[in-house]
Amino acid sequence: MSEPRPVKFRGGGFAPTSIKWIGPVVFIVLIGLLELGTQTGIIAPLTLPKPSDVLATFGELWRSGQLWLHLVPSLTRLLMGAALGVTTGIAIGIAIGLFSHIRAGLVPLVAAIFPIPKIALLPLFVIWFGIDEGSKYALIALGTFTPTVVATYGAVDNVDRSLIRMGQSFGLSWRSIVWKIVLPGAMPGILSGLRISLAIGIILLVAAEMLGAEHGIGAYILQAGSLYDLERLFAGVVILSLLGVTVSAVIGHLERRILRWRS
Amino acid sequence: MDLLVKQVSHRYGDLDVLQNVTLDIPKGKIVCLVGPSGCGKSTLLRLIGGLEQPSSGQIVQIGDPPDACLNPLTYVFQDFALLPWRSVEGNISLVLEDHDIPGHEAQRIIADVLERTKLTDFRAALPKQLSGGMKQRVAIARALAVNPAVLLLDEPLSALDSQTRELLMDDLLALWSRQAFTAVYVTHNLHEAVRLGHVIAVLSRRPGEIKQLVELDIPLGERSPDDPALQLHQQHLWDLMREEAIAADKELVDV
Amino acid sequence: MTTFTRRTALSLMGAAAATPLIGLPAYAKTKVRVGALRFTSHSASFVAFERGYFAEEGLDVEFKFFQAAQPMAVAIASRDADYAVTAISGGLISLADKGAAKVIGGALSEEAGTDGQKFLVSDAAYQAGATALSKLDGKSYAVTQAGSSFHYMGSKMAAKEGISLKFKPLQKVGAIIGALKSGQVDAWSIVPHIAKPLARSGKVHIIGNVADYLPDYQVTTVFTSAANAANERVKTEAFLRAFSRGAADFNAALVDKTAGDEAAEQMVKLIHKYVYASKPYEKARNSIINGAMRINEGAAMNAASIQDQIDWFKTEKLVKDHITMETLVDPSYVKAS
Repeated sequence: MSEPRPVKFRGGGFAPTSIKWIGPVVFIVLIGLLELGTQTGIIAPLTLPKPSDVLATFGELWRSGQLWLHLVPSLTRLLMGAALGVTTGIAIGIAIGLFSHIRAGLVPLVAAIFPIPKIALLPLFVIWFGIDEGSKYALIALGTFTPTVVATYGAVDNVDRSLIRMGQSFGLSWRSIVWKIVLPGAMPGILSGLRISLAIGIILLVAAEMLGAEHGIGAYILQAGSLYDLERLFAGVVILSLLGVTVSAVIGHLERRILRWRS
Repeated sequence: MDLLVKQVSHRYGDLDVLQNVTLDIPKGKIVCLVGPSGCGKSTLLRLIGGLEQPSSGQIVQIGDPPDACLNPLTYVFQDFALLPWRSVEGNISLVLEDHDIPGHEAQRIIADVLERTKLTDFRAALPKQLSGGMKQRVAIARALAVNPAVLLLDEPLSALDSQTRELLMDDLLALWSRQAFTAVYVTHNLHEAVRLGHVIAVLSRRPGEIKQLVELDIPLGERSPDDPALQLHQQHLWDLMREEAIAADKELVDV
Repeated sequence: MTTFTRRTALSLMGAAAATPLIGLPAYAKTKVRVGALRFTSHSASFVAFERGYFAEEGLDVEFKFFQAAQPMAVAIASRDADYAVTAISGGLISLADKGAAKVIGGALSEEAGTDGQKFLVSDAAYQAGATALSKLDGKSYAVTQAGSSFHYMGSKMAAKEGISLKFKPLQKVGAIIGALKSGQVDAWSIVPHIAKPLARSGKVHIIGNVADYLPDYQVTTVFTSAANAANERVKTEAFLRAFSRGAADFNAALVDKTAGDEAAEQMVKLIHKYVYASKPYEKARNSIINGAMRINEGAAMNAASIQDQIDWFKTEKLVKDHITMETLVDPSYVKAS
C-alpha cells in the first residue's frame, strides 16, 4: 500500500475557447515587421510596398472620393449578382429538396456546372448579356447560384422529418409545411451556404471587372497590377478583404437574429 | 366518435409487422397499447391516424367528430416535435393558422389550452428554454387546441425522467377528469398503462397481434401510484409479456 | 510564357556567374536570355540570331517566348530574361521607377510614309455614322488595360479630335477582336497586319492612321534590367550592336525594300520560323509583309515621343508625378533623335 495521493487530472485540452486579442496582435505584428523590412530596405520595393504607403494610398482614395467611385459600382454588381444568384439558388435548391423528379433532373446538372471556372465563361457572357453590367451580374449570379443550390437542398434534406410528419398529422397544407417548417428548418444550412456563396461572389467581382469595367474595386486592382503600382494593388486587396470581413459580419449578425432559436 | 381497427395487417417489404389486429376504441376511453419493443405498436398508431396505409384491413370511423374539431385524429409525439424557431404560443397557433379562425378566437383557444396545461406564464418562451416536461406540455396543449376527437399519444413520456413522468401523468389524468377525451396511448411502460388505461391491449412480438385485452374497472381518478390492485394488474401484464420481451431482445435488428 | 523552371533559372545564373564578363574575349560565349513575343515587330532579334550576329558578338542567345508584353516585363524585372522589346506602358514605367527596368534603345516606330498602326471601328458603329474619327464622340474604345499603348493612342487621338471616348479594358487582344466584331465596343487601334485582315472580313472598318496623330511615335523600345544597364555595359552594347544589324537587314528587306525581292523573300522565310509558324507559308507571308514597320536604325530612340508618353501617363495619373525621362531611360547606349 502506497501513500494516498490525489487522482491525476487528465481531462484538459480539446476545448477551443475564444481568445479575442490574439487575432489583432498577429495582424499588428505582421504589418509592423513588413513596415520595418521595407523601411530598412531588407524587403525590396519591387517585392512588397511599405504598409504605411498602402495606408497613405488608401487615405488618398478616401479623401479624393475615388473610393466611392470604385466601391459603389462594385457593391452594386455584388448585390445585384448575388441577389439574383442566391434567390434562384434557394428556389431551385428547395425544389430539388422537395420533388424527386426535379432532384433527379437537376442534381447532375448542378454538379456539372459547379466545377466550371466561371471566369472561363466570361467572354461568352459578354456575347449573351452585353459588355456592360449584364455580363457582370450574370457572372456573379452564376458563381453564387451553384453553391447556394447545393447548400439549400442539403439543408432541406436535413430538416427534421418528424417536424414535417407533425405538420402533416395536424392537417397543415403543403404550402404551410414548406413555408413554416421546411424553409425555417433549412435556414441554418442556407445561411452557412450564403457565407460561401458571397465569398465566391467577391472573388468573382474581380473577374467580372476584367472585361469592360472603367470603375470598380476589381478594375482598380487589375489596373494597379498592370501598372505595377503595388501600393494601389494592396490598397485594393485590403478593400476586398474588408468587404469580405463585412459580409461575413453581416451574415453572422443575421444568423444571431434569425437563428436565435438555436441552442 | 368511435374508432374501430378491423383486421389490420401490415408489412414492410417481406417483413410482417402487424397481423390481423382488431381493436375497438370507444369514445371517452383511453386505450393503451403495450408490447415488447419492435412489436409494431407505434406502427399501429400511425395506421390509426392515417400517416400510413395498412397492407390489409381498415380503420373505421364510427360517428362524426364534434363540430368544433379542427383535426379529428391528433398526435402527441415522443420527441415533442415542436418547431424550435417558434415560441410556445407560436407552436400552438401553427396548427390553427390553416383554419380561417379569426384572431381573437385563436387567442382565446391558445389562452385556454395554455391555462389547461399550466403554461400561461411561458407563452413567449422558445422551446430551447423549456425542460423536457414543459416541452411535452406544449405538445399536449397544441394537440388540445385543435379539439381532437381522438388523441394519439406515441410514448409521450418516454423521453422524460421518472419524476417528470409522474407529474405529467397526474396532469393527463387531471385533464381527462376535467373533460373526458378519447385516446390511444402507446407505451412500453406498464406503470403508465395501468395508471392511464381503461383498456390495455397487449401485443405479441413481431408480427404483432393482440395477445390479450385487459380492462381496468377502477375509475381513473381513484388510481394512485401505490394502489396494490394496480400493482397486481401490472404484474399480470408483465407475466404476459416477459417471454416475448426476452425473445424480442434477442432478435437481430435488421430493419 | 515558355516553360522555365527554377532549376534552369539557377543553372543559367550559375553559368552566367562562372563566365568572366568584364574584358570579354571575342571567343568566349556569354549566355543571354532574350524575351520575345511571336510578332513581326520582334524580328530584329530573330534576324540577329539566325544570321549569327549575336554569335559574332560573343553572345549565346536563348529566346524566352511570352504570350503577352506584361509577363515579359516582369521577367526582366525578376531577372528571368536579360533583354526584351515592348511598348512603353504604365507598367514598364512603374518597374523603372522601382529600379527594376531601364529602356536602352528604340525598336518599332511610326513614321510618315510607312504603313503603320490603324484606327478601327466596328461595323455597327460604322453603319450608325461613325465613319470618321471625329465622329466617335462618346463612343467606347477598347484597350487591353489602363495605361497600355492602346490607351495612349486612343487618348491622344481623342485629344486632337476634341472628342471624348469611354475606354473599356478587355485584357487581351483576342477579347478585343471578339468584342469589336460583335459590336460590343466601337473603336480600337492595332498594328496593320491585324487591322487589314479584320477590315477585309467586313465586320470592322479602318478609318484612320495612328501616324497622322502621333508622328514618329516610339511604339516599342528595347529594355533590360537596371542592373544590366548599369553594370553590364560590354554585354549590353554587344546586344544592341547585333540587334541593330538585325534591324537594318529587316528594314532593307521589308520596309525600305532596297534589298530586292530575293532578300525580301528570304527575310519572310526567316521570320516565318518564329512568327505564324503554325500557319502555311503562303498565308503567313502576307501577314508578315503587312506587319513590317520600321525598326529604328541603330536602335535609336525618339526622345520627344518618349517624353510625350511619360507626360501623358503622368497627367492621366497612371504613374507617379516624380517620374522623369531619367527614371525610365538610360540614354548612354544609343542616339536619341
